[in-house]
Amino acid sequence: MKYVIETENLSRVYKTYQKPEGLKNSIKGIWERKYDSKVALAPTSLKIESGKIIGLVGANGAGKTTLLKILSGLVTPSSGQATVLGYKPWERKNDFLRQMSILLGQKNQLWWDISPVDSYALLARIYDLDIAATRKKVDELATMLDCKHVLMTQLRRLSLGERMKMEIIGALLHDPKILFLDEPTIGLDIVAQQNIRNFLTNYVKEKEPTVILTSHYMDDIATLADSLLLISKGNIVYQGTVDQFVANTNSELAHDEKVDFEEVIRRFLETESRIR
Amino acid sequence: MKKSFAVFLRRNLAFANLAIVTNLEYRLNYFIDVLVQPILTTGIEILLWIAVFKGAKSTTIAGFSENSYLSYALWSAFFSRIVTSWMYEFRMIEEVSSGTINSLIVRPMTFYEYYLSQLMGYKFVTTIISLIVPVVASLFFDLPTILSRVPLATLLAFYYLILVHTISFIVSSMAFHFTKISSMTVAKNLLMWILTGELFPLDILPPFWKSIVIGLPFASGVFVPVAYITGRVGIESMYSGFISVTIGIIVLNAIGAYMWKKGIDSYVGTGA
Repeated sequence: MKYVIETENLSRVYKTYQKPEGLKNSIKGIWERKYDSKVALAPTSLKIESGKIIGLVGANGAGKTTLLKILSGLVTPSSGQATVLGYKPWERKNDFLRQMSILLGQKNQLWWDISPVDSYALLARIYDLDIAATRKKVDELATMLDCKHVLMTQLRRLSLGERMKMEIIGALLHDPKILFLDEPTIGLDIVAQQNIRNFLTNYVKEKEPTVILTSHYMDDIATLADSLLLISKGNIVYQGTVDQFVANTNSELAHDEKVDFEEVIRRFLETESRIR
Repeated sequence: MKKSFAVFLRRNLAFANLAIVTNLEYRLNYFIDVLVQPILTTGIEILLWIAVFKGAKSTTIAGFSENSYLSYALWSAFFSRIVTSWMYEFRMIEEVSSGTINSLIVRPMTFYEYYLSQLMGYKFVTTIISLIVPVVASLFFDLPTILSRVPLATLLAFYYLILVHTISFIVSSMAFHFTKISSMTVAKNLLMWILTGELFPLDILPPFWKSIVIGLPFASGVFVPVAYITGRVGIESMYSGFISVTIGIIVLNAIGAYMWKKGIDSYVGTGA
């Protein structure tokens, strides 16, 4: 079995300045500051197989984005080890960065002041892609996402849904072997969410990248994910297949109770949160 | 090796191109920056020196004539615009403090090269256009100018721009720890106003200070190229300028690399 992501006791602690209320404390803070340490990710060991779609689920502040940031090389861990495609992500080696992509639903990855086609031409240079092949690929992806008509419009003038489609194209141009998707459907209406889900389903079927997906919309996870990684207060509390998880949890419910996937996850995480 | 250099070159030309494309999206802002601002800066500096000579009631100051100072003012306004990068420095700081740097550090490139190439690309195009102002003014007013020296002087200013960018890189690395650090840019630029020779020609300083300040690489930003064009110094000062800038680039890059490593290791991936 080939693992593309392996971590061992990977953890991250954030140190944050604590400022009590008032002017007096602001002045005192010039020479004396109190810091609080928060465990964003408790020591975590994982193994993720190649070609799988992993749904990373947890409440706000549970640590899922921290895990994603460490695995994509954005953040250096406080302790522990990790390899992604054989590289330490936080060393940010170009050979690693060429094989992965991260899409942050709440942040623009493309250039705000220029049109998407100019951004894609720039990305082709950054990833050393053939220009003609890139243009063809943009055309194909834009057709699939039904957004060809906005390719030449300045990014800042696009709607949220159109912008997300542009971001998805930008993230896929270099055929990443591993794809980190952090809330790719956040803020979109139901139709746009469904379009993006359909597109991603077809894309992963065809290209078979390993995908780590976080989302607060359980429909995203239910539609796309093969496996689940549930995280609560910085701890991984479940790792396994979606079907197995639903079966296990349903067997614990009363016979006459019927709950959907979202409700199952919510109840599970609430219980875990109370325990920890 | 050859292929990776070609990839590096193509990528950086694309960054330079990005700077021009982005600025041309906002036409009015761009043309004010490349034409209106140089004309205003030049006018102010020239008026200042005319007023100084009227008040001094003398035909020379520190051995140089009024025309010599007017020529210095004209060309120092031109070179000081080449070697300032506050606009890009603010942007670099903002990338770190707001977390938009996330989209850059996960790509196969460096933050340093990305902004250096944009800075060079933007300055190259604006310099070609802005050059019209001092050339036309020096010919029209018959000010002491050796136009054949302009290319080498401009080359030194562009080389110095690498040093300027490295300082911006160091300041932006500090934003990993301090978040808001733009006041550092303002304070540093005030100091540079004097050290580069933008405010006044450095050769009118008392001998002790003159030898120290001209020995620093910062004099190669404005004073050395302008003094070379206006005939105040010879080619040997240009050679010294290239050497001191090289030393400055090496030392500051070592500091920058260390600070970047410290900064990025503590980075929390703000906002994502």
